[in-house]
Amino acid sequence: MIFFFILLVLVTTAQIAEFFIPPIDWMYHAHIYIAPVIVFYGAVALPFPLMLALALFAGIILDALTVQVIGSKVEISMGWSILLYAVLAGIMHGLRPLFVRGRWEVHCILTGICTSAIILAQYLMITFRRGSLFFSPEVWWQIGGPGLIAMLMAPPVFLILHWIARLTRYPYLPEKGHFE
Amino acid sequence: MSRTSIIALLIFGAILGYFLSFGAETTRNFQAQVYQWLAPFFSTGSGLQKQITSVRTGLKSLEELERENAALQVDNRQLKATNQALRDVEHEVNRLRHALNYRERSVFKLVPAEIVTRDSSTWWHTVTINRGKEDKIESDMPVVTDEGLVGKTTTVSQTISVVLLVTDENCKVAASVEGTREQGIVSGERVSGGLTPVLNLNFLTKQANLQPGQKAYTSGVGGVFPSGLVIGTVKSFRLRELDGQATLAPAVDMTHLEDVFVVTGRK
Repeated sequence: MIFFFILLVLVTTAQIAEFFIPPIDWMYHAHIYIAPVIVFYGAVALPFPLMLALALFAGIILDALTVQVIGSKVEISMGWSILLYAVLAGIMHGLRPLFVRGRWEVHCILTGICTSAIILAQYLMITFRRGSLFFSPEVWWQIGGPGLIAMLMAPPVFLILHWIARLTRYPYLPEKGHFE
Repeated sequence: MSRTSIIALLIFGAILGYFLSFGAETTRNFQAQVYQWLAPFFSTGSGLQKQITSVRTGLKSLEELERENAALQVDNRQLKATNQALRDVEHEVNRLRHALNYRERSVFKLVPAEIVTRDSSTWWHTVTINRGKEDKIESDMPVVTDEGLVGKTTTVSQTISVVLLVTDENCKVAASVEGTREQGIVSGERVSGGLTPVLNLNFLTKQANLQPGQKAYTSGVGGVFPSGLVIGTVKSFRLRELDGQATLAPAVDMTHLEDVFVVTGRK
């Protein structure tokens, strides 16, 4: 439980830190997202109910800090990020047995893919609102770039979180009767 | 699936449904509340970022000085570093004096504000400023600098506000072009390809034939932005099937914004 609360604090800190990290110019202004990496680690490390709670918390924070309210219109309504996080974290959670056995590489790659999936979903939602769907190289870079960065960040971040988990004596045990 | 998981899923669904049912006003209030809670962290982060940047700038100029003056002694280098620090202070004083002059000669009531954070998301162009309801800031107030239009406020909490930049596709500004009777709507791009974002001036007549260098101003139509604020300079003009479209270079460099003014009314 201590580890879960640490993850909540880290997600909040990462979300705030993202405001101060400038986008990468040579990657068509691709942004660096740290919070999804932590959430997806939580998705494989935590049991199902806590994974849902973490996705809920991260989604609320993300929506609260990014949703655009213009006049009487909300571009992407509150709650969509929660749903996105929950679905993607659910997919990651399905691979938890592999993670418990110490195989992390799939999760690192999936973290990148899921980060890009969040940005792609946001793009599709705003396009649905604003019209004119197009996929230029800039769009692909802005979607794929953060995913690539997340993929690269995942191993060290996972290692640090794993170390914190060991410090807090968090047991990476599969849920009873679920995976065994 | 275990019973605990099912209960967790049901609770999750209920909370998700509650958030999805939020309207614009509820979302704005909730967002303002979250920004208010996080305001101290944003201010601290902004301060830290400025310190880090200034240290980095200091080190860079020292390296340059070392390259140029390899023969100089340590004392000499320290003096130069001090000089550099003083020049930074002078630059800051000049910048603030410039801003103060603009505030005094402006026909608008202006509330000075500092940029606290820049946009952290991919698809939205926003910044947060260190002024809110306590400073009589409200939603949909224009934000300017002495160079021109920056954007407008959207979510406003007690001490912090979100500013939607003019470079965002959702920020639509009624504009007129100097020396012509042309009027159109300026909006940003969803995805900017270049290093500096550009603006699109849409719905011009096909006969507009705008020339590079002509300035676009707010026309005052729509009620949010007062007339006469510089939006940008025409870079190019092209004909489309039904209308003409001009590309503008924004008057304000959004990437290096530090201080802005919120227009709260006329003097």
